[in-house]
Amino acid sequence: MTEPAKLLELKGVSVHFGGVRALTNVSFSARPGEVRAVIGPNGAGKTTLFNAITGYVRPTAGAVHFRGEQIQGLSPHVISARGVRRTFQNGGLFGEMTVLENVLTGLHTRTKSGLLGTLLGGRRARSAERESVAYARELLKLMSIEELEDRPAKDLSGGQQRMVEITRAMSTGAPLLLLDEPAVGLTPPVRDQLMAVIRRLATERGISVLLIEHAIDMVMKGADVIVVLNGGQAIAEGTPDEIRRNREVLDAYLGHA
Amino acid sequence: MSQEIAHGHETGRRPLPRRRSFPVGRAIAVAVVIGSLFIPLFTNEYTQYIVNLMLVYILVSVAFNVLIGNLGQLAFCNVAFFGIGAYTTGILMHHLGWPFWVAVLPSGFVGAAAGFLASVPALRGIRALYLAIMTLAFGELMRWVYIHSEAVTLGSTGLPVPRATFFGFALQTAADRFYVFLGITILVVLATSNLLKSKHGRAIVAIKNNELAAASLGIPTAHFIILAFLWSGFVVGIAGSMFAVLIGRVVPESFNLVELIQHFAMVMVGGVGSLPGAVLGAVTLTWAPELFRDFPGFEELFLGLLLVLILLFLPNGLISLVVRFIPDFKDKYYRD
Repeated sequence: MTEPAKLLELKGVSVHFGGVRALTNVSFSARPGEVRAVIGPNGAGKTTLFNAITGYVRPTAGAVHFRGEQIQGLSPHVISARGVRRTFQNGGLFGEMTVLENVLTGLHTRTKSGLLGTLLGGRRARSAERESVAYARELLKLMSIEELEDRPAKDLSGGQQRMVEITRAMSTGAPLLLLDEPAVGLTPPVRDQLMAVIRRLATERGISVLLIEHAIDMVMKGADVIVVLNGGQAIAEGTPDEIRRNREVLDAYLGHA
Repeated sequence: MSQEIAHGHETGRRPLPRRRSFPVGRAIAVAVVIGSLFIPLFTNEYTQYIVNLMLVYILVSVAFNVLIGNLGQLAFCNVAFFGIGAYTTGILMHHLGWPFWVAVLPSGFVGAAAGFLASVPALRGIRALYLAIMTLAFGELMRWVYIHSEAVTLGSTGLPVPRATFFGFALQTAADRFYVFLGITILVVLATSNLLKSKHGRAIVAIKNNELAAASLGIPTAHFIILAFLWSGFVVGIAGSMFAVLIGRVVPESFNLVELIQHFAMVMVGGVGSLPGAVLGAVTLTWAPELFRDFPGFEELFLGLLLVLILLFLPNGLISLVVRFIPDFKDKYYRD
């Protein structure tokens, strides 16, 4: 295997905002083809963890390695171009744009149209654009949402928005996807289908998926590994079965007995 | 696999998107351009002057729209770019004796440099109303500079601009100027349209919609904020250059706040965010005062009323009316 076993590795990552310790000494790693869920009560630091990995927040201490290289401290767009892509908790779609345009924007780094060629309407810039449009349509078909192509993103239902955002995030074939609460506000059947899509990305394409989720049943069914955060610390890591039996986790969720 | 997700619980599903074979929008644009070649046959020197002014304002409004409509920043530095472009051409032609066609591009470049300068506050996170007031101040500051740099700008008397020549041909009449202006306007509007319908334009619109999400897709947001300002400054600089030879005298008072409000009104009336809308807004508002010329003393009243009525009944601008009949003019951020 040419791919290093550890695609992403966090070593003692801490994020402090002034006196608030949002994350303290969090370490874990993620492998290709694995669905890893991050769970924990509100305020546990889950989104801060995502922000620290994707460059939106600079870790106060610790290191983040992706494919063996340090990525902490880099700008979000650089980290994204390296192959770490994410979605946002409160929806990151461009509402004014259609679904196709959203996915095309996801292909930004892959579309090789130079600025001067674009301005002058050059042939190479045009063909690069046409090629990206064709590729974006293929992706929409792959995710079975091709009939949404011309719909403005702001008119979509919640489930449709999640599907488009995931399609946009995975469009460049990035090996690591971070999904911040993709199932929030979805009905259980739609949620199960979304989980099936996520599982397929991992098993068929070898993508490593890191997933924040509150729907415990969905996580227990769909995740390979679960990391539990509480008060900014990783208090447990293991398979769904191990987590289910973990005393500390039960305490965190139910309060001390 | 995700049929349920795709369709949701909608009852009336729309049919599959059609792939239109005939580009109606493009055909209309070509027809308008060809038709406009015959305009000088029907105009006198004055009406032709108004048409030429329309071409200048088309560029002004199209470029302003890139900043406030596409990038979504309240950057009111348009009139600064306009004046800087006009003064660059005025100085190059009056003091250095350059012909118009040599002075046009440098005016665009100086405008772009002003655009870069204006992008600095936006990059430093000054946005919305704070950016608006800073960029307004930029325009007013430039007016102060024009008035007080008398050695170069000749102060408030203004800088006389010699008659324009184009590759050695003197542009004697308004009709001569029209064809040169038309050529420039078509090239610049086309380049702007190419820009917006590319990954570069999509990046600019993405920043307006959700800057954090844009960065998450590998888009260097700062680059594209600068690009929008550069391009806007460049285009308005060229418009200013044309304005200088059109008016024949560059005076500081041409670049005051009222002028800026007119630029803003063109974008609003046409339809914020739409390139064809910006063209429509510029044409409408350049022509409208001529309609009311027979009612001296009431011009401003009628013009104000017209503005209020358009914005009241067509909040998305005149272009929304056009789109209702010709959907091709809807904003599309990709080529098909």
